[in-house]
Amino acid sequence: MSLEALSLNIQQGNLQDNVGWIFQAIWLLAFIIIWIYGQRIQTILMLKEIEGSLYRLKAMRDRGRQIAISTIREIGKPSEDPTPRVDRLLEHVDIEPVGLDPTGIIRRLEHIISVREFKLKDEVRRMAPQADEVQLNNLTNVLEVALALNQIYKVVRHYYLMGKKTLSFYIILQIQMLLPLIMKESEAFVNALRAFTLGQPIGDGVGALVAARLMYGREKRLIAHDTVVSEVDIDGRKAYVIKAKGPGGNVGKPGEAIKQILEEKEGRVALIIIVDAAQKLEGERSGEVVEGVGAAIGGPGVDKYKVEEVAAKYNVPLSAILIKEDVDDVISTMRKEIIDGVEEAINRIKRLIHENTKEGDTVIIAGVGNTIGIAQ
Amino acid sequence: MVMIMEGEKETRRTPILLTVVILAMLIMSLIALFIAIRSSLTRRTIEIEADIVNIILSVSALSLSVYLLLQMRRRTMALGLDKTRVVTVIKCASCGYGSTREFEKGDYVLREVGQCPRCNGTLLIHSIFRESKQEGKKEKF
Ligand SMILES: [Zn+2]
Repeated sequence: MSLEALSLNIQQGNLQDNVGWIFQAIWLLAFIIIWIYGQRIQTILMLKEIEGSLYRLKAMRDRGRQIAISTIREIGKPSEDPTPRVDRLLEHVDIEPVGLDPTGIIRRLEHIISVREFKLKDEVRRMAPQADEVQLNNLTNVLEVALALNQIYKVVRHYYLMGKKTLSFYIILQIQMLLPLIMKESEAFVNALRAFTLGQPIGDGVGALVAARLMYGREKRLIAHDTVVSEVDIDGRKAYVIKAKGPGGNVGKPGEAIKQILEEKEGRVALIIIVDAAQKLEGERSGEVVEGVGAAIGGPGVDKYKVEEVAAKYNVPLSAILIKEDVDDVISTMRKEIIDGVEEAINRIKRLIHENTKEGDTVIIAGVGNTIGIAQ
Repeated sequence: MVMIMEGEKETRRTPILLTVVILAMLIMSLIALFIAIRSSLTRRTIEIEADIVNIILSVSALSLSVYLLLQMRRRTMALGLDKTRVVTVIKCASCGYGSTREFEKGDYVLREVGQCPRCNGTLLIHSIFRESKQEGKKEKF
């Protein structure tokens, strides 16, 4: 080995040693920083994550607002610019009735809901004078979605700014934990915008679709606000089939309708069957049909209360048929699997009626849900 | 209306901090790899094991950062909203005739859309649905 090579070797060894020292120092420093500032760093990273989602939520909110405005312009042909009115509606708040004295709370809640519905529709009618009844209902739904997106954005922004101001790990943690669910729901709302502007049936309408299939071709009459009923013969039994009036976006008043029929018949009804969409758990199949008992009506609880009340009064059994679907699918365009569930649900209804009632009995079948894109 | 159909691109931000960290990691591991290889080539005596360890470490750091970069790219791609086809199924009320077409504005279930070419009965919209994207995906549970 030459002298030259040896000196090179030594130099390189020295270099390696120095590099090793530097690396050790860096490691030690990093360790200390993480040890002391770990939570602070995590907090900042979480804030960054929330910020990213907030950008997306803002984009979704803006998209909702823009779609609402452009659809109103296109369908309603308003004489003035609808933008300020839409902006005002997006900030709309509902104040729940007081729960401290719960007597009659359902009645009060119902009042508030119907006032809200009336007011919203009235505003839409003002903005879109050229829209027909169906378009009016669909536009109202579009506005509801835009409103929901706006509320979600504002709540997340509130927690983000609050977290940024206080740098409190726990305030930020709260919103960060919920963020995946919030984003999922918001994305569902954005998909709902498309379904509502085009008037496509949504997953929630599966109950209405079942009712529509049963009542097709029969005579219908209006029984409650935006709710139709039709008398259908099933297996020798007389069935009153109820659904919201389509094809505009509408949920009707199924509770009121069931109550009306029961009062009309003075309780001589053998069975009430309610068909509705239900949220599936992760891992369950979309479009799976399950049975149960009770009033399967979602929403704020007014209709559910009415059905339970009147069914208990006349001692009529309540059956539920549920079609399972994902949260994303509830307000976006109906999926193929869910339509396959409709046939199955109809078979189940027939079986339930056949097994639990006699010929000549009267039954009530209510298809619950938003009937957008589904006539009768 | 047009805006909804084509306006599916979101305002998307790349996480700058994360990208910078990963890129720094990538460069550092490249340099480390280079140094390790060079020293193992020039040095002909002992301590070859140390060089091998260095090479292994830098290669694994390299692959980790490349993996992270790929992962990030894939995630930003998956963020976009799904574009799906909506289908209208038309069936004859009297005979079994049926056909499908793309959803058109104004379609709704049970809408009458003309006469059956086979039996002159009324054609109805039987169903409207969105085609699922994850078909044939087997779940473990
Ligand atoms: Zn035909």
